[in-house]
This record gives sequence, structure tokens and C-alpha cells, in this order.
Amino acid sequence: MTGVRIAVTGVGCISSLGRDYRRFADALFRGDCGIGAITRFDTARCSITTAAEVQGYDERDHFEKERAARLDRFAQFAVVATREAVAAAGLRFDGRLSERTAIVHGTGVGGHTTLDFSYHRLYAQNAARLHPFTVPKLMFSSAVSHISLDLGIKGPAFAIASACASSGHAMAVGAMMIRSGLADVVLTGGAEACLTLGTMKGWEELRVMAHDTCRPFSRDRGGMVLGEGAATLVLEPFEHAQARGATILAELAGIGMSSDAHHLVAPSAEGAERAMRAALEDAGLEPRCVDYINAHGTGTQQNDATESAAIHQVFDGRARHLPVSSSKAQFGHLLGGAAAMESAAVLAALDRQMAPPTINFLGPDPDCDVDCVPNQARPQRIDVAMSNSVAFGGLNATMIFRRHA
Amino acid sequence: MHTVADDVYAIIARHAKLEAAQITPATPLDALSIDSLAMVEIIFQIEEHFNITIPDDKRIAERFANFRTPADVVAAVEVLLAQKTA
Repeated sequence: MTGVRIAVTGVGCISSLGRDYRRFADALFRGDCGIGAITRFDTARCSITTAAEVQGYDERDHFEKERAARLDRFAQFAVVATREAVAAAGLRFDGRLSERTAIVHGTGVGGHTTLDFSYHRLYAQNAARLHPFTVPKLMFSSAVSHISLDLGIKGPAFAIASACASSGHAMAVGAMMIRSGLADVVLTGGAEACLTLGTMKGWEELRVMAHDTCRPFSRDRGGMVLGEGAATLVLEPFEHAQARGATILAELAGIGMSSDAHHLVAPSAEGAERAMRAALEDAGLEPRCVDYINAHGTGTQQNDATESAAIHQVFDGRARHLPVSSSKAQFGHLLGGAAAMESAAVLAALDRQMAPPTINFLGPDPDCDVDCVPNQARPQRIDVAMSNSVAFGGLNATMIFRRHA
Repeated sequence: MHTVADDVYAIIARHAKLEAAQITPATPLDALSIDSLAMVEIIFQIEEHFNITIPDDKRIAERFANFRTPADVVAAVEVLLAQKTA
């Protein structure tokens, strides 16, 4: 922890729960489920046919035709979410602020839709050539570049990849840039849009996917469900936010990161535990201060049991009574965008003083002995809330947000 | 004679880093240090080798429950091969 406190002054998001933050938060607490039959591609060759798709999105509502053709779907979502976050923060990037603003955005697989489409043309349809924007569209950093172009931001800008923790690591790096004085404003978060036949066939073979829906922490859960979307947070030092009269939504109080050195896909309770402890230490908070956890909670057999065990290690006897919900049952697994989307859920929880539910819950599983706020949102006091991300490859990130009264 | 079991044992043995002769029908796969990721790879290689599809159980907890021993795997493959030629 350093002397610089980090204010969150804006949030924007797009997901299957809605195409802006307000609609997202309303749907979150209503307990809506954004999971449904896949429409993005023909699922005739798939055994898994459900995902959480962004509904009613038309790129022409957000981008001119020529511009849209240069943006992969994931980058479009990143720009849409970031525009909303910046507008909410009331920021204009002219003069020196443009150079003092950084962009750190996470993605797990970047321009995967472009890659899938292009290679299908090349390998299956024997196309003679690919579109000249193929490479600039599929770059992991293309979302960051487009945010920079879109808003005229000229400070440090780059993408971060750590699979399902990508946007968690992005937010952590963003926080470090604020603390170090490298930037006065950081636009951070993550985006993913990889609902393609290629992605789905790859995930199917891991045999971790749910056939019907996502049921985190529940008995008879069937696995995870892929989602898509993006979320961006605006971070700035408290002093900077206060000096310009900005509304402070919450404080990013602590960040924690760890790696497992354990297994390529199986999670480790010990690794997740160390990330949570590191975030608490960074925030200067005791475990008893945490009022709510938005879990990684993928709905797989192993993640939910392992994460529950890690939470018990950190929170000891309180774990059974500490609300721990997973929003992936509502908007699916956003992979590289998950941590940012779930941080948006945490910000909504702090704002509305309500724990989001874990929907699709059928009943307790003895391996997941946590209070997962089954099926219905719960009004309660939330001053400090945590968001966990536990990625394939054993890369973990935990964020702690504090209410700003 | 070259049997289905020979090929299945050879695939399992590769993952367990053993000789195929060391695999017995009743050796629990757990005891061969075959975890769920290795099991997923074994299933994939069996599917490719025999050109069959081993269905994915809807209940995740049951996903590998039918494959406790090499004999279980051989039995499942034989059923699927019989269905293919039927």
C-alpha cells in the first residue's frame, strides 16, 4: 500500500445482461440470465450449443461503416464500454491530460473472431487472399489502439494477457501506474468476444462445459458457459478526482496477484488463497473487513470446490456466513474480460448495497461450503468487496474495492 | 491377434509413462496417476484412433465416472465400435 488512494470515477460495460452499466446492474440484481442458444455461428457440429451472447448489438450504432470493418468484435466492445466509462467520469482528453492518461486493457484471446473467419476462408474455402486488415484486427492490443484513437489518448497504452485473469492483471497494473505517479488517469478493464465454432470446439474437448446452463457452487452443476463483452473502469488518484470535482464511485483499495506453479488447467486452492491474502495486505485490511466476494465461480466441478476451500483458508470460520456469489451464471465466462465485468458487478453491489445472486442454483454441494446468495439478490451493508479471478495456467488476481461514502 | 484392448492399453500406457504390458484391466486409472486432463487427452486419442465419439456426460461429476479402470474404457470403446458397424 502506498499513500496514493485510487478512485474509480467511471464504469462502462457491455454484456449479455445489457449494453450499458445501468441496464447491466438492473439485470444483475433482478437475477436475469443472459445465457441462451448460440446464434453467432451454426452449432450443428457442437455438443455445446449455449452461450451468453450480447443481444441487440449493431456495430453501425457505434461505428461508421469503414471504421467498423477495421475492428474485431472484441475491440468494438472494448471501445463501447470505454466510451461509456469516460462519459460517466466526465473526462475530456485535451492538452496535458491526454498524455497523462494510460490505457491498460486485458484480453484472453484478442481478435479471435477475425482469426477464425480468416482461416476458414483460407483453409476451407481456398480463398486466394485475406483482408488487408486481418493482422491489425486480430492483434491482442488492437482494442487498446482503438481506444487511444477513439478518445485521443497519448499516454502509455498496452494489452495484458493472462487467460481468464487478463483484465484482473490489467486493473492491477493500472492501479500500480496511478500509485507510481506514471499516470493521472488510467482506463482499464478487459474485453472478449470469441464465440466462434473454432473456440467452441476447443472448449468442448476439455469437457468442462455445461450442456444447459451455468450453476456455480450448486449441486449437479455441469460446468462453465462462455460469454462475451467488455468492461472498463476509470481510475485516478483521489486528489486528481477531487480537484476536478468528479464523483467517486468507489476506491480500488487493494490488488493481489499470484501464480500456482501447479497445473496447466487444474486450479490450486493455495494459489487463489495467496492472491486474496496479497490483496488484503495491499489494502491494509483484515479478512473480517470483507463484506462480499464476487467469486471466479466458473461452475466447473474443480474451480468451485477449490475456490471454496481457498475462501475457507483466508476467512476461516466466517467463510460459511460471508456472501460469495458468482455472476457467471448470469453473463457467462468472459475469459479475459471476466475480472473487469465482475468488478463492475462489485461496483454495483457497493452502490446499491446489495449482494448479487448466484442464479440457477439447485441446492448445496458439500464441496462448496459457502453462502453463495442462492437465486436472489440480498440487500445488505457492503463497505468492502472482493473480486477473484483464477485463470487456466494458474494465474490469479484479486481486487478489493471499498465503498466511498 | 491385435485387439481393441491392445490399442486402448497402448494409449493409456503412453500417458502413464509405462509399457503397455504393465497395464492390467483392473488397475484403477487413479493409481496410474492419470488425472482429469490426462483422461481428456486419452479420450481424444481414442476418439481419433477408432473414429468414434465418446459422449460428454451432462453431469460434470459423472463425466469420467464410467472410466475407473482400463477395462471400463475398453468396454465403452467396444460398445461404440459395435454401434458404428451396426
